[in-house]
Amino acid sequence: MNFGKQLKEGIITQNPVLVQLLGMCSTLAITTSVANGIGMGVSVTIILTLSNIFISLLRKIIPDQVRIAAYIVVIAGFVTMVDLILQAYFEELAASLGVFIPLIVVNCIILARAESFASKHRPLAAAVDGICQGLGYTLVLVVMSAIRELLGAGTLNGVEVFPSEYAVQMLALPVGGFLTLGFLIALMQWARSKTGQGGK
Amino acid sequence: MSKQVQPAAAKPQKASLSMDPQYIGRLVGTLTGVCLVVALLLGIVNYVTKPLIDASQKAKQDAAMARVLPADEYIPWEGTLPEHVTALYQASASGTALGWVAETSASGSQGIIEMMVGVSMDGRVTGVSVVSHSETPNIGSKVVDDQSVLDRFIGMSHEGGEITVNAGTNRFDGISGATYSSKGVAAGVNAALAAVGQLS
Repeated sequence: MNFGKQLKEGIITQNPVLVQLLGMCSTLAITTSVANGIGMGVSVTIILTLSNIFISLLRKIIPDQVRIAAYIVVIAGFVTMVDLILQAYFEELAASLGVFIPLIVVNCIILARAESFASKHRPLAAAVDGICQGLGYTLVLVVMSAIRELLGAGTLNGVEVFPSEYAVQMLALPVGGFLTLGFLIALMQWARSKTGQGGK
Repeated sequence: MSKQVQPAAAKPQKASLSMDPQYIGRLVGTLTGVCLVVALLLGIVNYVTKPLIDASQKAKQDAAMARVLPADEYIPWEGTLPEHVTALYQASASGTALGWVAETSASGSQGIIEMMVGVSMDGRVTGVSVVSHSETPNIGSKVVDDQSVLDRFIGMSHEGGEITVNAGTNRFDGISGATYSSKGVAAGVNAALAAVGQLS
C-alpha cells in the first residue's frame, strides 16, 4: 500500500472524471456553482470511502455471481443513511445538497471503485483509495464549477467578480457543461501525453 | 508505460453456471443476508432520524406559512382538495379570518416544487414561499430561490382568468432560461387561487 501513489492516481493518472471518464452525469449536472461542486465532491468522497471499506470487508463473503447486486444494495443503503442523517442533524447542508445526495447511488465512480479496487484489496487500502479517488473527483468538480460560475454568472462562490450582464449564460446551461468538460479532458490528455503517461 | 485496465475479453470464459443446489443456496443466502442487514440498519437510522426530520419539516412549513400570510392561527381545512393542493389552512388572527394558506405542489423542470401560497379573503395572492424544490442551481433556482421573483405574484388574482407565464393579460413575467420552473410556480399559485375560489 502506498498512499502517495494512490493519491497521484486519484488526482492525475487515474483521475475518475478526466481519465476514467466516470461519473460524467453528475459532473455535468451539478457544476454550476462552486458551493455545489464542493458539496457534491465531499458527499461522494465520504460515501465512496464508507462503501469501499464495507465492500472490502465483505469481499470474501460475497460470491462472484451476485457481487454487483450486493454492492448496489450496500451503496444505496449508505447513501440513504447519509441522506437521513444529514436531514436530521445538518439541516442547512442537507437543504443545499438535497438534490444531489440521491444521485450518488447512480454515480458510477462508486460502483467502479467497488468492483475494480475495493473487492480486491484490504479495508485500509480500500479506504485510502476511496479518499484519493474522491479527492480527484472533488478537484475536477471545483475547477469545472469555478470556470462555469465565473464565466457563466460572473460570480465566484457567490461573490460578484464582474456584472452578470457580461457573463456568458450559456456556460451555466448544460451545453456549457459539455464544453468545459471537453476542454478539461483535452487538457488532461495533452498534459499526460507531454509527460509520456497518456495514450496517443 | 503504466498498465491499463485489462480488456474483459482477455479473461478466459467462465464455465457455465453451476446448478448445484448448495451453491445456489449460498448465492441466495448471501444476497438475502446482505439485504437484511442493510434493511435493518436503514430501519434503525430511519427510526432515530424520523422525528427530527418531521420536526424540521414542520418548522419549515410553519415558517413558510408565517411568511406568506402572518396570522396567529392556522386551522386545517377538512374537505376534498382540488388537484395540486396538498393542504389548505384558514389563517386567522384574534378570531378574524385573514385569508387562506394553501400548500401546493406542481412540477417544475426537474421535479416537484412544493410551495405555500397565501390568499387573502378577496382572492388575492399575499405571498408565495417555496418549501422544497429540485430545480437546477443557477437556472431554475433563479425563480424558486429568489424571493423577489416570487413576490411578483403578490396582488395577483383570478379576476382576469388564470395566471399565464409570459403571455396573456393576467401575466407573470418569468425568468428567461427558466421557463419550466416559472410555469411550475405559476401552476402552484393557480391551484391555490382555484382552491380558495371554490370555497367562496
